[in-house]
Amino acid sequence: MATITCREFLDHLEPWMEGERPQDSLAHVRTCANCSSVIKDLEAIHSEARSWSASEQDAPERVWTSLRAQLEQEGLIRETTPARESTAHAAAPRRGWFAGLFPRLPRPVLAGAYLAALVAVAFALSGPVNKRVNEARWLKGTQISTSPLSAQLNFAEQNSHSYVTRSNPVVAASLHQNLAIVDNYIALCEKSVSEDPQNEVARDYLYEAYQQKADLLTQLTERGENVQ
Amino acid sequence: MSSSHFVPAQWLPKTNWKTAGLLVPSLLFCSAVSAGPRRQEQHFKVAAHPVITIHNPNGLITVKAWTKAEVMVISTPASDRIEVDAEQMGNRVDVSTRELSDSVAPDDMRADFQINVPEDAELQIHNDAGSVSVANVLGDMNVETVAAGVDLEDAAGYLSVKTVGGSFTCIRCTGRIEASSISGNFRLLDLRSYHVWAQTSSGNILFNGEFLPNGTYSLKNYSGVIELRFSPGDSFDLSATSLKGKVNNEAKLTPSPHQRHFMPRWGNALFGTFNEGRAKIEMTSFDGTINILKRD
Repeated sequence: MATITCREFLDHLEPWMEGERPQDSLAHVRTCANCSSVIKDLEAIHSEARSWSASEQDAPERVWTSLRAQLEQEGLIRETTPARESTAHAAAPRRGWFAGLFPRLPRPVLAGAYLAALVAVAFALSGPVNKRVNEARWLKGTQISTSPLSAQLNFAEQNSHSYVTRSNPVVAASLHQNLAIVDNYIALCEKSVSEDPQNEVARDYLYEAYQQKADLLTQLTERGENVQ
Repeated sequence: MSSSHFVPAQWLPKTNWKTAGLLVPSLLFCSAVSAGPRRQEQHFKVAAHPVITIHNPNGLITVKAWTKAEVMVISTPASDRIEVDAEQMGNRVDVSTRELSDSVAPDDMRADFQINVPEDAELQIHNDAGSVSVANVLGDMNVETVAAGVDLEDAAGYLSVKTVGGSFTCIRCTGRIEASSISGNFRLLDLRSYHVWAQTSSGNILFNGEFLPNGTYSLKNYSGVIELRFSPGDSFDLSATSLKGKVNNEAKLTPSPHQRHFMPRWGNALFGTFNEGRAKIEMTSFDGTINILKRD
């Protein structure tokens, strides 16, 4: 049986996540611990995303388009070649596995959480190839992935300041104080990751810090909704 | 309260500015008292495993278990601009605080609660500020706060606590414990829990409890101190990693026979087994200190 490289496997990651299991890819995953690990991580994220509240609204199509473009720009996913694309998939209108990764995008603020997950995916995908390529990928991925993430969270943060003006000052102070703590952690984690792009622990902490920030901004927004 | 407005007659002929200065604030105070907190007591008959939900923006919430098949809610709103609703839907009692007008000052949005529940009750509590205290309740519990501290004593079941800046103390708790915060400190004392997951960013974590066979104990923060106390008879597999901080250990660990540990690539890390390694402990910090110390 023909075997494929990690690069070739990752090139066809999207159809894999949509359920396509070509023999050469299956054989590669069985023997490659790195790619197997990537798949497990993505499936875990996929599973977690599915558990998000079904009451939330779908994200606008442009969000998926934009995020897909980002991943393609990073070279982390690519358009599948016609030869590998099944007829059924070609015929069916779809948002793809990537949209299915986060089937329900909640409020605009939580788009930040989604983007944080995007960063995590980008990090996970940057693992298996050689160190130099990984570091270059990471640095590029950082610029591409975290810039819109930071911008979106910062935008939400600016809006959130007006939300809590009428709420309990103790609560408002606590939320803003903890937001500052998380911002500080984000800065420190980003510094650590930029110094050592391969550092999984720092990447995990960075990912969690982004999630915490998105959670905090959501709380601020919810309180704003309550008092307005 | 009308007697509060009584002014002795002998004071009247001698009225001067000094007296008036004393009387006017007194009268205002009495008026304020008459429009002050309205204590309300309500009782609800419930069956086994009732669910009690409490939504309150600010205040002291005290929940205690008792032997009656009944839920008692004593509420004390801080002002007459808010109202406490307590209603029963089947075997569920919902308690919430709501504002009566659109312009309620933040200080007025406060209510204190004393609630008694059957010991098998399930609790869902949301209280932004103030405090939450629960004792002897054995049902599942979900507590969410922003600045309010959470104190649980002799609780069991599935305990889920989430705060932003509030501290969390759990004493003699059993069952499954999951707690998260950003800056809150955690104190987990005299636990007999088979599953503990505690994560705070800048807060400290103190764990001083039993390590049950097959139990899992995960303690994680960003900065601050994680302190774990152990006894000579305890049995656990340990993994402790601080990326930029220190790991101080008083336990004599042996290489783990249960699982393969890789040498740490980043930071300071410690892996090993204490006695038979029946429980599993994971401690992780970014730049905080991890202390693994003998129990006094």
